[in-house]
Amino acid sequence: MALLQIFDPKAPPTPIGIDLGTTHSLVARVVDGRPECLLDCDLQALLPSAVHYRADGDVVVGREALALAAEAPKETLVSVKRFMGRGADDPETRRLGPYDFAPAGEAEANSVRFLVRGRAVTPVEASAELLYALRSRAEDALRRVGGAVITVPAYFDDAQRQATRDAGRLAGLEVLRLLNEPTAAALAYGLDKGRETGTFAVYDLGGGTFDVTILSLDHGVFQVRSTGGDARLGGDDLDRALAASLLEEAGVTEPSAGLVREALDAARAAKHALTEDDRAEVVLRHPSGVLKTTVTRARFEALARPIVERTGPVCRRALKDARLKPEELDGVILVGGSTRSPLVREYVKSLFRQEPLTDLDPDQVVALGAAVQADLLAGQSPRQDALILDVIPLSLGLETMGGVAEKLLPRNTTIPAARAQTFTTYADNQTGFELHVVQGERELAADCRSLARFTLRGIPPMPAGMARLEVTFRVDADGLLSVEAREATTGASQEVTVRPSYGLAAEDVERLLLESFEHAEEDLRTRQLRERVVEAEQVLRATAGALAKDGGLLDEDERAEVDGAMQALREALSQPEDRALKHRTEALDRAALPLAERRMNRALERAMEGHALAEFEELVKDRALHPHLAAGAKED
Amino acid sequence: MGNPFETLGLPPRFALRREDLEQRHRDLSRALHPDRHAGAPASERALVAPRAADVNDALRALRDPFGRASALLALHGCGLTDADRPTQELLLEVLELREALDLARGVEAKIAALRGRVEALARAEEDTLSGVFRGDQAPAPGDLKRARDAAVKLRYYKRFLDEADVLEEG
Repeated sequence: MALLQIFDPKAPPTPIGIDLGTTHSLVARVVDGRPECLLDCDLQALLPSAVHYRADGDVVVGREALALAAEAPKETLVSVKRFMGRGADDPETRRLGPYDFAPAGEAEANSVRFLVRGRAVTPVEASAELLYALRSRAEDALRRVGGAVITVPAYFDDAQRQATRDAGRLAGLEVLRLLNEPTAAALAYGLDKGRETGTFAVYDLGGGTFDVTILSLDHGVFQVRSTGGDARLGGDDLDRALAASLLEEAGVTEPSAGLVREALDAARAAKHALTEDDRAEVVLRHPSGVLKTTVTRARFEALARPIVERTGPVCRRALKDARLKPEELDGVILVGGSTRSPLVREYVKSLFRQEPLTDLDPDQVVALGAAVQADLLAGQSPRQDALILDVIPLSLGLETMGGVAEKLLPRNTTIPAARAQTFTTYADNQTGFELHVVQGERELAADCRSLARFTLRGIPPMPAGMARLEVTFRVDADGLLSVEAREATTGASQEVTVRPSYGLAAEDVERLLLESFEHAEEDLRTRQLRERVVEAEQVLRATAGALAKDGGLLDEDERAEVDGAMQALREALSQPEDRALKHRTEALDRAALPLAERRMNRALERAMEGHALAEFEELVKDRALHPHLAAGAKED
Repeated sequence: MGNPFETLGLPPRFALRREDLEQRHRDLSRALHPDRHAGAPASERALVAPRAADVNDALRALRDPFGRASALLALHGCGLTDADRPTQELLLEVLELREALDLARGVEAKIAALRGRVEALARAEEDTLSGVFRGDQAPAPGDLKRARDAAVKLRYYKRFLDEADVLEEG
């Protein structure tokens, strides 16, 4: 960094990319076209994902928090990501770990809550503390921080994605996009530089989650072909297996929370040492003495192998979903600290029958990719043509008669996606439809993840089978689902953005926002007004940008209308008042609609022209050679 | 969701190359994906998002031969429904194939041989469909009937091949 940086208040804010990881988190940005991690004052990129709650109510995060984990295991939350979007009765709460959990009252049964110093803390709040720390780090370095791209495991379901977005909001970030971690890694590798096409696998063994993604690159477009994973499999499991084995060797059957923490730390240290060395010394103090032992690589690998091998079937299925053989891949990218382990590397090599790529630091690669995407979204990147077409990892559907899950959007559907389906009543005079939205691959809804339940009421009595219920599923580019249900004969309609049963309710997020760090002094109205101002400024900026580029698409009258609406909004901003701002922001949006339409249509025309019908004329000649698509082109 | 051929700007015919389909999908995604309009006013983003979803759905619909056949039949006003029953002959044929598949369980070479046989059957139906839906003129009513029969057969062959997939996965 230059010593003298002159602060330019008009400089555009810098977009950032954040890897919110199980064991550690990072923040990165693009500078001079290259992604770079931001360092803390100790010049470290990694922020340990640990949050410590002090007796005086203060919160400490990162390395300092981690150092307190052994003496205050219940007050120090690590690997919080494992609990994101999970219910209070989730099996995750019963695995080896030091935490106490708040009893699940009826109102709170939806989200797991840690019990810390008598106070209930949700994983969303703890994650927000980490994000807030990263945001502060970015603000120190960049002064003006723009929107953030936050990464999530590709295999995160809707509840887990919602929880991550909520955490970002809670930390005061403008979340530009949730990006799948393997896709971020592919972007970071810059696979689009120096080649036009190729097919790659990304093997991402993180602290708490495993993802595999197969994607192809075609003239700047990254298209995810398939994705798979296990949201309960990660490097943490290797620590747990070794910790359990150490405790057993020490003869401890009922370890205290502190001892569990120490055993886990000792196991992790040994794991790291075994990446380079063949043996690691472990010292573990416990109530009846001290365990001093040597862990050989063979012992560790015997414990680790069954866990690592669980990634095999997941990878094979992803390849099959993409209709590819391992030999057809042009490269395999490794992501996640656990992929440093020689055992994992060997295993990946045998799975994909090739030496994996390891040019980039597997701990940093996801954050770097997130920064690249943030830069792309902010329109500042020279990689103008780059585009990511991602997919949903798990099928989305509705429970129908007999408890069967009817899949509206199958897994690996490219997003954004929308699909409508019509249902009908099964009883005479049925006046309500209960909709149960589920996610997963199993036949029965009960075996899938329950995302939301809602009822569409107000259907006039009709004989069974007469009502026409149109249900539309929409998944946006973040992979988040919204569901609309409409009764076609009466027009009774309801739209819900799915707030998963296991997430936080919208009111909770509002409440937490009010209670959170920076908003403590504000009331709801001030905050709304502030958000309104930000929104108005954004619309002004966006419209001005569109006009500068494509103003010529409007005739004089239309142009005058947009200019007028912009002026009106600017005036409203000089003395911000909620209703006027809302009004004029909407008015500007309306005035800009013709411009939006023409810009879209022109983009469409250009797309169609790009590969004009000449090719299709050629196709006719080709027909004798290609009477049909390759027989291998089957649907899922 | 409208006519997927129109969405992708492609002639409504059966014989399409996968590369051409994907090329169009890519070009249109570049024009319509919300990320490509990230800095634009909200009205513009609201405008493109559903169109981008349509483009994705059109690719899905046209990517596989049965999907393409269904789309073409729907386009000509005689879409397939669940009420389209297979002929006795087709049912017997599929039944026999299923039994053979059951017996082949665990023997990869036998499954592969059966797969090859069904793929050849499917190709014959695809040839019929290529002949009927040439994209230049509307098919004659008699041809539509033939196409429909072919599509029903394709549906059954496709299901069979999916089952063979599951067996191979073991």
